[in-house]
Amino acid sequence: MKQKMKRTVFVLAFVCVGALVFAQKKITTSATINFDATTNLNAMAKAENKTVVAAIELRSGGIAFEAVMKSFSFSNPMMQDYFNGDSWLETDKFQTSTFKGKIINLAAINFVKDGTYPAEVAGDLTIHGITKQLATAGSVIINGKAIAINATFTIKLEDYGIKGKAIEVGKVAKEPKITVEAEFK
Amino acid sequence: MSKLKYIIISLTIIAILAAIGVEYAITKKFTDTAKEQPLYAVRALDLIKEFQKNDGIANIKYAEKIISVTGVVTETEAAGTMVNVKLGDTVSGSYTIFAFQQKNLTEARNIKVGDTVAIKGSCSAGVYSEILETEFITFKRCTLNK
Repeated sequence: MKQKMKRTVFVLAFVCVGALVFAQKKITTSATINFDATTNLNAMAKAENKTVVAAIELRSGGIAFEAVMKSFSFSNPMMQDYFNGDSWLETDKFQTSTFKGKIINLAAINFVKDGTYPAEVAGDLTIHGITKQLATAGSVIINGKAIAINATFTIKLEDYGIKGKAIEVGKVAKEPKITVEAEFK
Repeated sequence: MSKLKYIIISLTIIAILAAIGVEYAITKKFTDTAKEQPLYAVRALDLIKEFQKNDGIANIKYAEKIISVTGVVTETEAAGTMVNVKLGDTVSGSYTIFAFQQKNLTEARNIKVGDTVAIKGSCSAGVYSEILETEFITFKRCTLNK
């Protein structure tokens, strides 16, 4: 009887801890996004945004990112003006880019066991006011209580209504590489 | 000198100057923020209130300008290899966040929660976050305002 009670308490404790872990929504305000549209003609077409808001919901695998477009920092002032300008991303009008999606293979990720897990992510990416579906592969890295996620993918600028002479003449890549990293504690 | 020669020399000089101008524009880098004079000096909580009141007007006033912001550090967060510093409003949850220049990584790492600091940087924008349901104002190319 006493042993049965002990087992029940243990199971209940395990369930409660598990529920707490998976119910958690983790947030960071310092996720990073690297934008690399460099070409042979232009090595300056790259920028980094280090103040991206990101959230992960462990139970559902939901993932969300929110990036202020003007926070992308270029080394070259002209490139930054061009990036934000009316002929490109119109960041006065479209202030943020967002991603709302989820980890598809959530069952393959053990959030309470350290390791690096391949993740398949799918969702809606909104840039320049245009929303397109995005599916990409990434990683989820568990290290104690810290959870890091990262993914690298390309987008077609024309899909998001971004056109211009610099793209046409090859000074900006038509399909820039985007690298996303977030660490939740 | 014939008129034709004069025109050719003038056009050559113009072409060379234009090429130098283009080369300068595409290779120029942002000035070190430490050497920039801030256009505004504000307290973090006052800046947050200004953006909360009307971020459209506040963005026109502050975006892409060098601002010095003073306040108490409420959080530091790793951002890849860098460290971001936040001066927040603990009541509303709104915050200002400062991404430091690579060259100022050491000074960023030495900043601790509770420190009173003045940080100078380029104000990117202030927006309402759908994820956080609060206003946040981001800065880039930051350094301590000594």
